[in-house]
Amino acid sequence: MVEAPVEDKRITLKEAARLIPDGAHIFWGGFGFQRPPMAFAHELVRQKKRNLTIYTCGSEMDIDILAGAYVVSRFELAFFAIEGIGLAPNIQRRIREGAIQIEDYTNLAMALRFLGGALGVPFMPLKSMLGTDLLAKTRFRQKKAEVVTCPFTGEKVVLVPSVHPDFSIVHASRVDREGNAQIDGIKGEDVEGARAGKKVIVLAEEIVDTEFIRSQPDQTAIPNIYVDYVVECPWGAYPMMVYNYYDYDLEHIRMYYQQCKTEEGWQKYCEEYITSVENHMEFLKKIGFERLLKLRAKRPFPY
Amino acid sequence: MGKNYAKLGEYNTLELMAVCGARAIKNGEVVFVGTGLPMIAAMLAKRTHAPRAKIVYEAGFIDSNAIDIALSIADSRLGYRASAAIGLIEALGLLLQGGHVDVGFVGAAQIDEYGNINTTYIGDFENPTVRLPGSGGGNDIVSSAKRIVIIMTHERRKMVKKLDYLTSPGFLTGPGAREKAGLLGGGPSLVVTNLCQMDFDPATKRIRLATLHPGVTLQQIMENTGFDLIIPEHLPLTEPPTYEELAILRAIDPQGIYIPRSTQT
Repeated sequence: MVEAPVEDKRITLKEAARLIPDGAHIFWGGFGFQRPPMAFAHELVRQKKRNLTIYTCGSEMDIDILAGAYVVSRFELAFFAIEGIGLAPNIQRRIREGAIQIEDYTNLAMALRFLGGALGVPFMPLKSMLGTDLLAKTRFRQKKAEVVTCPFTGEKVVLVPSVHPDFSIVHASRVDREGNAQIDGIKGEDVEGARAGKKVIVLAEEIVDTEFIRSQPDQTAIPNIYVDYVVECPWGAYPMMVYNYYDYDLEHIRMYYQQCKTEEGWQKYCEEYITSVENHMEFLKKIGFERLLKLRAKRPFPY
Repeated sequence: MGKNYAKLGEYNTLELMAVCGARAIKNGEVVFVGTGLPMIAAMLAKRTHAPRAKIVYEAGFIDSNAIDIALSIADSRLGYRASAAIGLIEALGLLLQGGHVDVGFVGAAQIDEYGNINTTYIGDFENPTVRLPGSGGGNDIVSSAKRIVIIMTHERRKMVKKLDYLTSPGFLTGPGAREKAGLLGGGPSLVVTNLCQMDFDPATKRIRLATLHPGVTLQQIMENTGFDLIIPEHLPLTEPPTYEELAILRAIDPQGIYIPRSTQT
């Protein structure tokens, strides 16, 4: 009898970031404060990546860091801010400098663009954006969206171009070494985004045995077939949150927001927490495990 | 039995705005809200006259029963006793665009007299002064919900004749414009500010003053509005919060995250 081989797709965070060439187009997972690939953002900064284009619905401190460190030059998205706190400070500054450009869509439009990419069709229809400057004004795309008349009903619909990025980056709750990923709580646009990329890297809070996944296959959000690489990355969304794992560190987020209002403050943050730190584990040690453990989710609450 | 209304000075403006928002929700309705004041308003509605209201958040939390105040629309707090936690296409696509959402709450950096909303740029598109957060799900909600409640502060620079950028569609250029553009939803129905409540004139689709908040003068409203506001002949006062509503409201946000406890503002 021959045992079915279990493919091992695990690589380190550093190896994963090394796969991303300058100028790559990337689906960026997580939504708002939930599961942003923060540790991956830090590693892209450490490796001095440049000129990336990021596709996402709504992202916050993670993409503000990428903008601050000049990793990203273009965004196609629907929303960015640090919710409940204020505008994203580095992105504001980089827009004024002309270092980044933003093409605006809506959350539904972006999510459908990922679904279109995943389905292998060139565009998706929707009923948002009609009558507004989201249709009328374009920042850098040759064609951003198009209003057409439905050939079947005659009604007006908006077509948005599908996104088929070079890489999809998703931070999941759990994954096995083959790449079967579970996502607790809301999935945002990660289910579609993970399926849209040419190469898919799944980071996760923990690596679980494949038997754990296969004993509850209905819980798999991303099956291994889509996934190329797996990275074990505990506390990988800190100081933001992961459902059922940990809450956000509001004090740290507020400190970031206040400090990054000035370029000097941002440079200081970047050096202290990102560039002078060897890797993600050293970053966590710098934050301190006592502080991290206080943020652990307290069941039955997912935070 | 008469209602036990709080007197001027016993509540602050944000509390009154949250109460106005809550009263715009009917029992059993599907309500799409963001964080901040709309979330507080929806939580208040569920604890008072609309216990069967179903609160949906765009990141995918459906029929949320959160007991703690969330900072983010994707905050795990919103997952507490929700009926489902799915994703954006579920919330904004299947539920909202699919026609299941009765009322959506949005904020605005600017609105014009047709209730069109800007949340993207202040200043010129080519050379903006401030880059705001963008649409997020705002345009989707305002496009497709059956009706829309806008909650915002009432300032002349925010109530403008011409928007710097049209992010989300009110009645666009007037009667019939939404239908002509192909939009599904019913458009804005109520604007709640720190000074008054406004609705929309059915004939012209322009913003019309509806009720004055206690202690606010018509003069104050005119001074803080940059477009021609329709003033009806009959102009009632906004129904003040009851003591019961205030007590529940203060229990919802005990730390004053969205509604500071001061009665001065």
